[in-house]
Amino acid sequence: MPWLADLGFATVRLTAPIILAAMGGVLSQRAGLVNIALEGKMLAGAFAAVLGSFYAHSAWAGVAAAVATGAALALVFGVFVLRLRANLVVAGLAVNILALGGTGYLLQVLFGTRGAFAPQGLRGLGTVHIPGVDRVPVLGRVLDGHTPVVYLTWAVVVLTHLFLSRTVAGLRVRAVGEHPEAAASVGVPVARVQYAMLMIAGALCGLAGAQMSLGNLQLFSYNMSGGRGFMALAAVFFGQARAWPTALGGLVLGLFDALQIRLQTTVGVPPQITQMLPFLAIVAALTWVSWRRQVRGGVLAP
Amino acid sequence: MIAIAVRREWVASVARFAVTFLAALLVGAAVMVASDRPALQAYRTLFTVAFVGVQNVADTLLTATPLIFTGVATAVAFRAGVFNVGVEGALHLGAFAAAWVGFTATALPGPVVIPLALLAAGVAGALFCLGPGVLRAYLRVDEIVTTIMLNYVAIFFTSYLVNYPYAVPGLANAMSPKISPAAVLPRLLPPSQLNLALVVALAVVVAVHLIMTRTPLGYELRAVGSNPVFARWAGIPVGAVIVKVMLLSGFIGGLAGAGQVLGVNYRFVDGFSPGYGFDGITIALLGRNTPLGALAAAVLMGALRSGGATVELFMDIPKDLVLILEATIIFFVTAEYGLDFTRRRRHALAG
Amino acid sequence: MSASPLVRLEEISKAFPGVLANDRVTLEVTAGEIHALVGENGAGKTTLMRILCGLERPDGGRIYWQGRPVEISSPQEAIRLGIGMVHQRFQLVPSLTVAENVALGREPRRGPVFDRSRAAVEVQDLAVRTGLRVDPRATVADLSVGVQQRVEILRVLLRRPRLLILDEPTTVLTPQETTDLFAVLRRLAAEGTTILFITHKLPEVFAISSRVTVLRRGRVVGTLRTAEAAPEALARMIVGEALPARRDAREEPPGVPVLRVENLRVRDDRGAQVLDGVTLEVRRGEILGVAGVEGNGQKELVEVIAGVRPLETGRVLLGEDDVTFAPVRARRAAGLAVIPEDRYLQGVSLPMTVEENLLATRYPSFVRRGLLEAGRIRSWALAVMGQFDIRAPHPAAAARTLSGGNLQRVVVARELASAPVVLVASHPSRGLDLAATRFVHDQLRALRDRGGGVLLVSADLDEILELADRIAVIFAGRIVAHLPAAGASRERLGLLMAGKAA
Repeated sequence: MPWLADLGFATVRLTAPIILAAMGGVLSQRAGLVNIALEGKMLAGAFAAVLGSFYAHSAWAGVAAAVATGAALALVFGVFVLRLRANLVVAGLAVNILALGGTGYLLQVLFGTRGAFAPQGLRGLGTVHIPGVDRVPVLGRVLDGHTPVVYLTWAVVVLTHLFLSRTVAGLRVRAVGEHPEAAASVGVPVARVQYAMLMIAGALCGLAGAQMSLGNLQLFSYNMSGGRGFMALAAVFFGQARAWPTALGGLVLGLFDALQIRLQTTVGVPPQITQMLPFLAIVAALTWVSWRRQVRGGVLAP
Repeated sequence: MIAIAVRREWVASVARFAVTFLAALLVGAAVMVASDRPALQAYRTLFTVAFVGVQNVADTLLTATPLIFTGVATAVAFRAGVFNVGVEGALHLGAFAAAWVGFTATALPGPVVIPLALLAAGVAGALFCLGPGVLRAYLRVDEIVTTIMLNYVAIFFTSYLVNYPYAVPGLANAMSPKISPAAVLPRLLPPSQLNLALVVALAVVVAVHLIMTRTPLGYELRAVGSNPVFARWAGIPVGAVIVKVMLLSGFIGGLAGAGQVLGVNYRFVDGFSPGYGFDGITIALLGRNTPLGALAAAVLMGALRSGGATVELFMDIPKDLVLILEATIIFFVTAEYGLDFTRRRRHALAG
Repeated sequence: MSASPLVRLEEISKAFPGVLANDRVTLEVTAGEIHALVGENGAGKTTLMRILCGLERPDGGRIYWQGRPVEISSPQEAIRLGIGMVHQRFQLVPSLTVAENVALGREPRRGPVFDRSRAAVEVQDLAVRTGLRVDPRATVADLSVGVQQRVEILRVLLRRPRLLILDEPTTVLTPQETTDLFAVLRRLAAEGTTILFITHKLPEVFAISSRVTVLRRGRVVGTLRTAEAAPEALARMIVGEALPARRDAREEPPGVPVLRVENLRVRDDRGAQVLDGVTLEVRRGEILGVAGVEGNGQKELVEVIAGVRPLETGRVLLGEDDVTFAPVRARRAAGLAVIPEDRYLQGVSLPMTVEENLLATRYPSFVRRGLLEAGRIRSWALAVMGQFDIRAPHPAAAARTLSGGNLQRVVVARELASAPVVLVASHPSRGLDLAATRFVHDQLRALRDRGGGVLLVSADLDEILELADRIAVIFAGRIVAHLPAAGASRERLGLLMAGKAA
């Protein structure tokens, strides 16, 4: 079954940026802020990663640049939303537009291209070979030979889960997101918690961007995030902002992403149909949840 | 006395917008100077290209046409307090529906097929928004999330249609067959591509303005948008109003797609929209959720984009500069509303 | 009991626009006592306590803590001094556990990790010691309101307050829970915690307090030893000396019923049973006053009749029409008008114009060929504004530019211009000045005299006594008494409203 292993490998690879950004989405959503800006922060991160790697001749310099850029953009977002009371959704869309315009502008000004920028000798993240794992049948081929960021992704999922469920800071985040007034009444600094979560989300989006541009292809192309930030947001809603269910949602979206090519070539299912399904499934899931809530709440009484 | 007060408010809102716009231009200038580009000259060129000369104005209006539709579509929903982000999806389905009528009903004459295609587009868009509307009105499912998700469904679905059942073999890009010549919207100021879609868009602006100010539905949607609790106590059927508003918003969004198909591309081209639906959010916001305001904002944005394309061509300044200007304007406008709100609250608490 | 005061509030004054909430209030709480603070709605109790907790700054006066003058400028400062308050609205996070809620803000930790078991043990210990039984691992959302209150009290107690303030803690409790709470409070007092207990209910004053202070219209009427106080005298102190109420109740035989509610059972947003078998009847040409301390189900009663809240069982009838499940618009078509409790939220839309606000219940009748008839609407609005003396510069002026009294005139005008058969008026004169109040009252009387039926819900006994022909007293979601206004004394009403059957 080599095709199954290939599919698994592709899924893990394609899923990583979505899940990283989704964990950022989980953290900000748990702090009470729906993060529409994931997309823009990923895109900016992807571009910064290529810049960093290109100028510093080091993939890790690229990663650092991506993380810093994501966090900086998140800070701007945070100032507008938390300080200047801008509308969350509108400001998030503005971040996305700014990231698209900013990367497009710089791409052309610095490298004179509108499409893809793939300079010779751009350092990618490289792959990690885990001795032993590769000998496990099927699973070995799925799990071995990814970039370090892919492995880091799953560490981030574990950490996000532990952070929210086990730490004092995580407890405060949950309190702030659910009932800010109650949190404030016992002295929890609400705004500071929200800034922190937004910036961590930004950093994770930056990391996700680095995986996109330095992970496999080693290039940056215009609008290369291509809606993955919104997929991450979809995963957050699917997982109701809990770490593991959200990661699962991200995995499913990544699987469909990987599956579309496979299904197209083997069974002839159009890739668009495959891509469409997870979004329909999320809407159906949300509808089901609300329906249950309303029936139980007795609001649907005659 | 009241007339003066109203006019003063109008002047104030224009003045505030001017300040926002100037701030955005300054940010843009800073970006250009930092990247060693002649800012002043760029703006001069941009202005000339956008507004000087009949053909230039025509191109500005051509660029503005889809934005007028999507801006008004979004403004209608926002005004009723419904955060419809699904205009992009309605636009895709509407575009395909118009194209389908155009390449299927080839025997019909223009005066029949054009209204038919527009109607089909509107209905397709309206049906698309019906789902999120019903979910929001009766099950309290957040419409922002459902419309964002369903946008992808609409985009992928139309892409499937032109890649498979209605694919034209032998073309590099996925697109539908060409519409019949009868279905092509006539041009207004040739050689510019500016076409009858602009007239339709202006008619929509006028119609929505009348709906909002003169009809019971307009009254209802303003009541629901300004205070849904009050509306409910007064007996206004809030759920039904939300559904109607989403239908109207989707209908106009569908027309936006039809305009591009019948007036510019003459077929459904996969990926034809650079996000017109999302631009509608910006435009509605700038236009303070009124159709006339959206018209003005759409023309302004059309000018920036049409000018931006030329500036890129002749001065080596990426047209993405326009996106940076737009993002800055959005930031300032939404923050400014927020400031207004906090000031009001503080006032209310103090007074 | 030592006689030294733990806290002394001296000549505290606090004004809000239009109201003097506290007028040179002096209150002394002795260490170790349970001190009850009683008074009607708007008597200034909560404002006084908010000042003590650092949530409001007084305009004048001094606070002495253990004999030393102090400035309580923030809640943190109050907590530092040892003042803890259990608010009427709980400050709990529903999805967190009891232990997490109690610990929030001062969490036990091992490094960055929240020490769950220690938090649970701390709560458990305190719960055992105080008798406030809760499961530290339970999720707050799953708990009944009574248990949630225990959590709230535990949270305050964990900060070891010297003075514990409870703001009407029993409104959400069952009788059994109330008994349990009182046992806990007595034990706390015995261990040296001083308690300030805000309430409306006389039985509670006698059940728990050693001293009681009565506030009325922002002033202290007096402080008594509870043991030496008679219930009738205390009731009179709370509601004021009986002014001879204007008695213009009509002697005519009552007409046919125009509004009936039968056996209403309703739950509030938190699932508590707030109406428990309420039956009422309003007849042609009468004003039925529903008297009661706020929070006894009046809000939900009005909402159910208006059609904006679902009910569990029961019927609502307008004349002969069963409108139990009818939408709001159908009820209004059947002759119902409503003056809601919260005029800013439910009564008007502030961004809309005066004219548009007047139009809200009747715009469908101004439609011709699908369009609103602007001309007819304008002349109608001007006529209504004249008739109800709405002082706005123009029908197109935004409602937000109007004063509270004028806004209420807009609401009253809209509801009465349609010549309703039944009017439900909820706290119709709250926050209004004298002139506006008189206007509202005159309008209610005029409607009654024209043969309409009025259901008047008010927490203001003066208003009820002045207007009502019959009075129903509501307590804990039930109608505890029906009596003709002519035979009702303030004293008796005060006792009934306080849950003390007379």
